[in-house]
Amino acid sequence: MAHVPQRDSVTTIAPDGSRRFLQPADVGGQWVRARRAFGWLLIALFAAMPWIDINGNPAVFLDIEQRHFHLFGATLGLDDFWLLFFAISGLGFTVYAVTAMFGRIWCGWACPQTVYMEHLFRWVDRWIEGDHHQRTRLDGLPFNDPEKLRKRGFRFLVYIALCWLVAHIFLAYFVSIPGLYPLITGAPTAHPTAFIGMAAMTGVLLFNFWWFREQLCLAICPYGRLQSALIDDNSVIVGYDARRGEPRGKAVAGITTGDCIDCRRCVQVCPTGIDIRQGLQMECIACTSCMDACDDIMTKLKRPVGLVRYASLNELNGGQTQYWRPRTILYAALLGIGAVVAAFSLSQIQKAGFKLTRQPGVELYTDSPGAVTNFFRAKILNKQGREVRFFIETEFSPVPITILNQSAGLVVPPEGEVTFPLVIMVDRAHYTGEFNLTVRLRSEDGKTRLKQKLHFLGPDSTAPQPPTR
Amino acid sequence: MTSPESSDDKPVLMPHSYDGIQEFDQSLPNWWLFTLFGSIVFAALYWAYYFHSGVAVDDHTALDADLSVLEAKQLAAVKDLNDETLWKMSRNALTVTEGQAVYTSLCITCHGPTLAGVKGIGFRLNDADWVHGNTPTAIYRNISEGIVFDGKPTGMAPQKALGTAKIAAVTAFLLSTQEPGKLAVIPRSEEPSQK
Repeated sequence: MAHVPQRDSVTTIAPDGSRRFLQPADVGGQWVRARRAFGWLLIALFAAMPWIDINGNPAVFLDIEQRHFHLFGATLGLDDFWLLFFAISGLGFTVYAVTAMFGRIWCGWACPQTVYMEHLFRWVDRWIEGDHHQRTRLDGLPFNDPEKLRKRGFRFLVYIALCWLVAHIFLAYFVSIPGLYPLITGAPTAHPTAFIGMAAMTGVLLFNFWWFREQLCLAICPYGRLQSALIDDNSVIVGYDARRGEPRGKAVAGITTGDCIDCRRCVQVCPTGIDIRQGLQMECIACTSCMDACDDIMTKLKRPVGLVRYASLNELNGGQTQYWRPRTILYAALLGIGAVVAAFSLSQIQKAGFKLTRQPGVELYTDSPGAVTNFFRAKILNKQGREVRFFIETEFSPVPITILNQSAGLVVPPEGEVTFPLVIMVDRAHYTGEFNLTVRLRSEDGKTRLKQKLHFLGPDSTAPQPPTR
Repeated sequence: MTSPESSDDKPVLMPHSYDGIQEFDQSLPNWWLFTLFGSIVFAALYWAYYFHSGVAVDDHTALDADLSVLEAKQLAAVKDLNDETLWKMSRNALTVTEGQAVYTSLCITCHGPTLAGVKGIGFRLNDADWVHGNTPTAIYRNISEGIVFDGKPTGMAPQKALGTAKIAAVTAFLLSTQEPGKLAVIPRSEEPSQK
């Protein structure tokens, strides 16, 4: 007889620590259909991103080698790294707000683990090995059984092919499609790092989807646990209406029973092996399979559907779900503030980088009868896909300064970086001691302006001028 | 029909109790334990391989080996560079153009757009008077290693990072306006741009 889930222990881990491998039953219904459509939309988006061209670059191309990050038409450099703060905190507040309101909706609908497992790999299982009865029978056969060898072997090959494909799409996010093509056609020995990365990714995906499966959600995923901690009595979860369902059992004359007929269909379809009727549990990824399974049975019995449904604990206990409560308002407000600041920051992103440091290996300043001179090292980064001429000019200086030989400007190649010495001189007649100044980098079209403050070093103003050499 | 509560593997409670709190006696997943024992085995193998096998190469040795390969490549390139080849390069239009491009983005700051130099900063490079050596290889070395005068680093910082090819191209560009055998050496104080 099938294992009976316990609330106090994990179904997929047997008392001796061994794995209890699940073969969940197939389920159909409105929620599964909607989730499948959504899942395939996400897979299609994931596969399409490197192909979509925006402003001459892929929609998503994280060019680690060149340190350029192309995101939906914008090109970010390493000096824009601080924007990641908004991405991470925004993601955090989104998870908080959404989970506090709707429970683990991310896990059930959008998490790649669920999307690929439920809508791709389980579909392969069903296609090659049959329904859960046939798969369970196959599990029980000895490993050298010809039928098992044939079916499992074929399924293994299909899994390798799918994982290999996903790994290639993943790699395309970092090398782009034009960059991926020579890697596919060339010999692995010509690009060992990329090949090993791709092979390792394939291996990890294969291990995950072939064997590890729900263990990732139960034992490894930090978001799952975080979300469990964020759920309160008003969060909408996948819940069993015990007030309507209990006492469960077949209708027998003379005994009052609830709507649950204890058919255990909800347990058979569960991908993490729990019994939803035992209440909210850590293992539940809110996948809605049990909702569809139960609705199916209820429809056949001509009873109202929704014995297992999206509802808050308050609602299941006969109360009302309060969506807006102090914490959800706070999360949403913080998310809103973060979004506004992030949008403003993104609009302020410059299409160039400009950095001045002191030139290493030379004197801090030279003091000749004519002038005091400081040596800097300038670095200009052009984030645009075309050649740009840049000028370096004085933004502010208390005394007249000369920036040597930069009046013609400097042409920086597309998405290139140039480093060169920059010499700033002050005429001895104007020099009155060290001072602060600001220089500016300006693109020829004037659209990019970057400033940098500098400190001009020199001799004490009271020091005598050096004698003429 | 079996009642759902009649499971044979109901978790067992540990006998101890602290403040009335008891814990279940449940096994860790085997795969989890495997990561523990696996890492112990890995540590032992790592230790044996890197510290006692004599086969493993430590990071410093590997880095030194990589650097010496790089240096050998550079030396091989430099070996072909002598006064004669640099003169030859200075008569090759393509090399000179390449050198000029590097000059315009880098050297121009101190030596000026017309190679006339900047007083007190960069030497004049468009005349036949040279201060720190009057051979093509000396010019190449001055660009690559920078110039130290009187034991002090000068504004002419080492440009080694450009690489052999680019330094040679800049040298060729500078030589393109010069004639072989006509380069003279003058003392530093005689250099017009220093006055």
